[in-house]
Amino acid sequence: MAAGEGRGAGGLECREHLFKVLVIGELGVGKTSIIKRYVHQLFSQHYRATIGVDFALKVINWDSKTLVRLQLWDIAGQERFGNMTRVYYKEAVGALVVFDVTRGSTFEAVSKWKHDLDSKVLLPNGSPIPAVLLANKCDQKKDGSQNSSQMDQFCREGGFIGWFETSAKDNINIDEAARFLVENILANYKSFPNEENDVSKLKLDPDLLKADSKSQCC
Amino acid sequence: MEPACKIHPVNMLCLFFQVKQIMEEAVTRKFVHEDSSHIIALCGVVEACLLHMLKRRAAGFLRTDKVAALFTKVGKTSAVAGDICKKVQELQQQAEGRRNQLSGQESLKRQCSASGKTPVLTPQALRHIWVRTALIEKVLDKIVQYLVDNCSKYYEREALLADPVYGPILASLLVGPCALEYTKLKTADHYWTDPSADELVQRHRIHGAHGRQDSPSKRPALGIRKRHSSGSMSEDRFAASAREYVESLHQNSRTHLLYGKNNVLVQPKDDMEAIPGYLSLHQSAESLTLKWTPNQLMNGTLRDSELEKSVYWDYALIVPFSQIVCIHCHQQPERGGTLVLVSQDGIQRPPLHFPQGGHLLAFLSCLENGLLPRGQLEPPLWSQQGKGKVFPKLRKRNNNKSVDLEEMPEESATDYVFRIIYPGHRHDNNSGDMIEMQGFGASLLSWQLEHCSQGSSCLSCSTGSSPYDLPSCCNCIHDRTPLKMLCESMKRQIVSRAFYGWLAYCRHLSTVRTHLSALVNHSIVPPDKPSSATGGLTKEVWSKYQKDKKNYKELELLRRVYYGGVQHEIRKEVWPFLLGHYKFGMTKKEMDRVDEDIALKYQKVMAEWKACEVIVKQREKESHSVIFAKFSSGSSIDSHVQRLIHRDSTISNDVFISVDDMDSADRDFKGPDDPSLTVVNVDTPVAAAVVEQQSVEFDSPDSGLPSSRNYSVASGILSSIDDGQSVSFEDGAEEDVNTDSERPDLDPTQAQKAKAVVLESQDPVMEEQLCSQLDYLTSSEDIGSVCMAAYTIELLDTVALNLHRIDKDVQRCDRNYWYFTAANLEKLRNIMCSYVWEHLDVGYVQGMCDLLAPLMVILDNDQLAYSCFSHLMKRMSQNFPNGGAMDTHFANMRSLIQILDCELFELMHQNGDYTHFYFCYRWFLLDFKRELLYEDVFTVWEVIWAAKHISSEHFVLFIALALVEVYREIIRDNNMDFTDIIKFFNEMAEHHNAQEILKIARDLVYKVQTLIENK
Repeated sequence: MAAGEGRGAGGLECREHLFKVLVIGELGVGKTSIIKRYVHQLFSQHYRATIGVDFALKVINWDSKTLVRLQLWDIAGQERFGNMTRVYYKEAVGALVVFDVTRGSTFEAVSKWKHDLDSKVLLPNGSPIPAVLLANKCDQKKDGSQNSSQMDQFCREGGFIGWFETSAKDNINIDEAARFLVENILANYKSFPNEENDVSKLKLDPDLLKADSKSQCC
Repeated sequence: MEPACKIHPVNMLCLFFQVKQIMEEAVTRKFVHEDSSHIIALCGVVEACLLHMLKRRAAGFLRTDKVAALFTKVGKTSAVAGDICKKVQELQQQAEGRRNQLSGQESLKRQCSASGKTPVLTPQALRHIWVRTALIEKVLDKIVQYLVDNCSKYYEREALLADPVYGPILASLLVGPCALEYTKLKTADHYWTDPSADELVQRHRIHGAHGRQDSPSKRPALGIRKRHSSGSMSEDRFAASAREYVESLHQNSRTHLLYGKNNVLVQPKDDMEAIPGYLSLHQSAESLTLKWTPNQLMNGTLRDSELEKSVYWDYALIVPFSQIVCIHCHQQPERGGTLVLVSQDGIQRPPLHFPQGGHLLAFLSCLENGLLPRGQLEPPLWSQQGKGKVFPKLRKRNNNKSVDLEEMPEESATDYVFRIIYPGHRHDNNSGDMIEMQGFGASLLSWQLEHCSQGSSCLSCSTGSSPYDLPSCCNCIHDRTPLKMLCESMKRQIVSRAFYGWLAYCRHLSTVRTHLSALVNHSIVPPDKPSSATGGLTKEVWSKYQKDKKNYKELELLRRVYYGGVQHEIRKEVWPFLLGHYKFGMTKKEMDRVDEDIALKYQKVMAEWKACEVIVKQREKESHSVIFAKFSSGSSIDSHVQRLIHRDSTISNDVFISVDDMDSADRDFKGPDDPSLTVVNVDTPVAAAVVEQQSVEFDSPDSGLPSSRNYSVASGILSSIDDGQSVSFEDGAEEDVNTDSERPDLDPTQAQKAKAVVLESQDPVMEEQLCSQLDYLTSSEDIGSVCMAAYTIELLDTVALNLHRIDKDVQRCDRNYWYFTAANLEKLRNIMCSYVWEHLDVGYVQGMCDLLAPLMVILDNDQLAYSCFSHLMKRMSQNFPNGGAMDTHFANMRSLIQILDCELFELMHQNGDYTHFYFCYRWFLLDFKRELLYEDVFTVWEVIWAAKHISSEHFVLFIALALVEVYREIIRDNNMDFTDIIKFFNEMAEHHNAQEILKIARDLVYKVQTLIENK
C-alpha cells in the first residue's frame, strides 16, 4: 500500500520512483537550456546564469508498471564551494555531465567535474553513480569530423556510461540521453532494490509501518 | 451467536483506526491529498465492511465487482448514490481512454504533456473507485447511512451493517472523513514530492489565517499529534465473559485505548515457546492497565464456549500500572525490543517482545502519555519534534541518581531502565526514596519487601484513593537511619543539580549575548526621533541637506534611509554617498575631484586590460586555428584537447584550484597594480624562452575563424564584444579603433593604436616604459610573439579565462530588464573587466554581474558605477568563494535561528539537518538581488547600506531571518527538508513582499538589541 508501489486493477505491480539526477559542467555550456528543453520542451535565449542550484522535475511514464520522476538538479557551473557541491550531490543516483563542443576547455573540465562527482557521491553499493557525457551545442559545430571511437574510449576511461552529441537549441538527442541514463539507474535500482536509491519510498516509510501494523490486525 | 459477530469489533477497530488516521492527516496538514495512502486504506476497510454478508441478490449474481453492483443497485433508489454512479462511470471512461493512450507506442514526452487537465487515477484509486469517489464527493456517510437504514433489503441479518449497534456507528464514523477537504490541485503531470511554492503559500493563506496572531513561542510544539478519544462501542465490564473481554480490548466509553499492537510475543512459561498476542494499553479515569491477549483468543476462530474454556486465558496478562515501579527495556538490533515490567514487590512480569520497527518506543511514548498528569517516566523520553519521542541519550553524570543507568553498557545504549514516578504527589519524598533505593539493588528491595509484606498497616498509610498512589510503606520507616541518609544525599544532589543547571543556563545566555552583541549595534536609533523617518529620504530633505551640508547630520540621513528608503528620483545622487564614493559633507569641489580621480583611474585600468585583451584574442585565434587545422585534418577532439592540456593548463575552470594555487599564480605574474612590472623586458632570458616556446604556435598560419570564435551566435546581442578584434574605447581614446573583425592578425597599425591607448594613461613611468616597448614592438617583425612576451603565459591564460566567463555572464545578465540594451551590456562588460583586471587573484566569479547590474541601472555612468561597484565589492567579495564570509553568515544564521526560533531550528535539524543553511547561499552572495524584483532590490540594498551605521553591520542576516520567519508556518506544516526548502525559496524568488520583509528584519534587529540591552 505504499505510494511507491501498489497493486493495479489488473493485479499489476505499479512502481513509482523518484530519482535525483545532477546536471553539471562548466559555466555557459548549456546546462539550464538542456533541462528546460527536456522538461518544458522549449529553448530560450533568456536564461540567466545559475547561482547555487536550480530544480526541475520531469515525469516519465516509463512503462505500464513504472512511473519515474526525475528530480533534475541544475548546479551552477562555477560552483566552487567544495562543501556545497557535497550537499547538492547527496543521494543523487545519476548525472549528466555537459560540455560545449565549441569550447575545448569545457571538455577538459569534464574530467574534473567527474572526479569531483565520484569523490563526493556514490551509490549505496559503493560504485560511482552512472554519468552520461553530453557534447552540447552540436548544432554550432562546423567540422563534422569528431571521432566517435575516441569519444567512446574517453568515456570508458573516464567512467562514463555513454555520451551523446546534443543540442538544446535544436532538440537533438536530449530525450535519448536522459532515457539512456534512466535505463541505467533503473538497472542499478533493480540490482539493489532495498538500497536507499528510491527516495519516495524512503520518505513514506513511517506511513508504511503504520499501514502494516494496521492491516495485520484485521 | 454466529462467529461472524466477533469480526464486527475487529472490523470496527480497523475502520476506527483508518478514520483516525485520515483525520489526523487533515489536522496536521490541513488537507488530505487525493493520493494519500490513508484514503486508499480507509476505502479498503469501508469496502470490507460494506461487503460483509451482503445478500447475494444485492451483490449481483454474476458480477465480479460486488461493490459496483451494490452501488448501482442503491443508485436506483438513492439520488446521492445515483450521482456517484454517474461520476464513477465518467472516471472509468477517462481511465479507459488513458489506458488506451498509454498502450500505444507514444513518446514519453507526449505522454507527459498529454496528461493535461484530466485527473489521473492511480491503480489503487481505481480499485476502490466507488468508495473513493463517494468519499471525495463527501457523500460516503450518507450512502452508508442509507444502507444501514435499509439494511434488510441488502444484508443478511448477521451483517455488520445490519447490526443495530455497529451499523449506525459505522455510518457516523464516516461523517468526519466526509467533511474533509480533498485537494485536487496536484495532478500526475504536476508531480513533485510536494506542491509548488505558490500552492503552498496559497494553502497557507486559506488555512493558516486564524493561527497567525499567536506568537511563535506560544505555539504547541511540532509533531505532537492530538489523540482522538471519541467513540463508544460497548460497556467495559471486565471479563464477565470471554467475548466481552475481547471487546474490552477496544476503545469504549470508559476506557481509552492508548495503544494496541498485535503479534507481541510473550513466553508464558519457561518450557513454552513464545506466543504472539495482542498488546493493549487502556486508560480509564481510575487506572492505567496493560493487557496482553494471546492471538488464539483474538482471532475469532473459537466459538464462545471454546473461548471461555481455552487454556490461553491462563497466559493472558492484565497488569495495572499502579503496581509497576520499573520498566526494563532491551533492544537488539534487527530483532526488535523486549520490555520487562517489574512490580514494586520485585516480581518481573514475563518479557514482552516487540517486533522491529520502533514499536517498543511507540509503546513507551503512549505509556508516558498515559501516566500523565500525575506520573512520569524517569528518565523521561526525549521528544524530538516531528519525529515524536526518542530514547533519552544517556550522559555520564556525577551523581548516583542515574546509578542504574550507568549499570547499563553505555556504549550500546540499547538497554534502558525507566522508573515510574509520581512527582508532586504528597508522598513524593517517600516514593522518591523507594525508587532511589531500588537503584541500589536487590538487597534493599528485599528489605523493603519485608516491610511491605508486614501487613495492611503499611498499606493503610497511603490514604489516597488514587490508583496512582504507590502502596507506600515508607511512612512507617522514617526512623530508619539509612533511609534518612539517603534522603539527605538526595537533597544535596537535587540542589547541586539545580545549581549546575542554572549555571549552565547562565553561561549559555552569556555566550548568546556575547555572540549576538557582535551582530548588532548597541545604540538603538529609533524610527520616530527626532522626527518620523518612515517617509524615507525625500527630495525635499535631500535638497535641504545640499543647501546646508555643514549642519546636516549624516546619521539623520541614514536613519531616514534605513526606515523609509530613498525616493527613486534622487537615488542617482544619494547612492554614491551610501556606497562611500563620496563622503557626506563633501563640498561640490571635493566631489568633483573624487570624480576626476576615478575617471582617470578607470581609463587607466581600461587601457591596461584592453591592451592585454588584444593579445589574448590574438593568441586565442591562433590556438583556434591550430584546432581548426587539426580538426580538418581528421584528428579527434581528444587529441586537440590533449594538446590544449599541455599547452595552457590553466584555461578551463579553476573550480578545483585551491586558494593557494591562485596565490602562487598571482605571484608568478606579478601584481597588476604595479604597471611597471607588467611589461617584461624582452631581452631577459626568461622572456626569450617564452618567445621561443610560443613561436612554435605562430608557425601555423591563421587560416580563418572557426565558428566557435563567436560565442554569442545565439543571442547576437554582443556580436561586437565577442568579436576578438573589436576594441572600442569610448571615453579615452581619441582614435576610434577599427572594428574590422576579419583581420586575421595583429598588424603594426593596431599596435600603434594600442600605443595610443596607453598614452592616455596617467602613470608617467608606465607611459614611458610602454612607449619604448611599443616603439620597439612596432619595429619588430614578429609582433605577435613579442606582444606575448609582454605578459606571462599565466597572466594571459588567467585573463582569457576571466574574459570568457565575463562574456558568458554579461550576455545573459538580466536581459529581460529594459535597461540592458546591447550598448549598456557593453558598458557592463567594461566595468566588470576593469574590476576583475584589478582583482585577478580572485577573478570573475558568477554573481558579480548581478551585483553590478542594479548599480548601473541607477547610476547610469560608467566611472561612477565602477567606483561604487568597487566599494560594494569590498563587502561582497568576502562572500565569494575565496572570502570566507559565507560560512560566517551560515554560522550566524544558525545561532540566530536557534536563539530566536528554536522550534523551527529543531525542525530543520530533524529533517536531514539543513542547518548548514545552504539554501541561503544565493541570498547572501547577491544581497537578495535574485530574490526580489528590481524595484525592491533598490530599496533593500539601500537599507542594507544604511543599516551598517544605524542598526547592524550584518543586516543581511536579519533579512534572511525575516524571509525564513515569513514562511515558517509553511516550512513547518509541510515538514520541509533541505530539497523542499531550497526549491521553495527558488520558486518564491521575486514573489516576496519586500516591505514586509524589511519591516520584520528591522524588528528582529530591535529584538536582539533589546535582548542585549536588558542584560
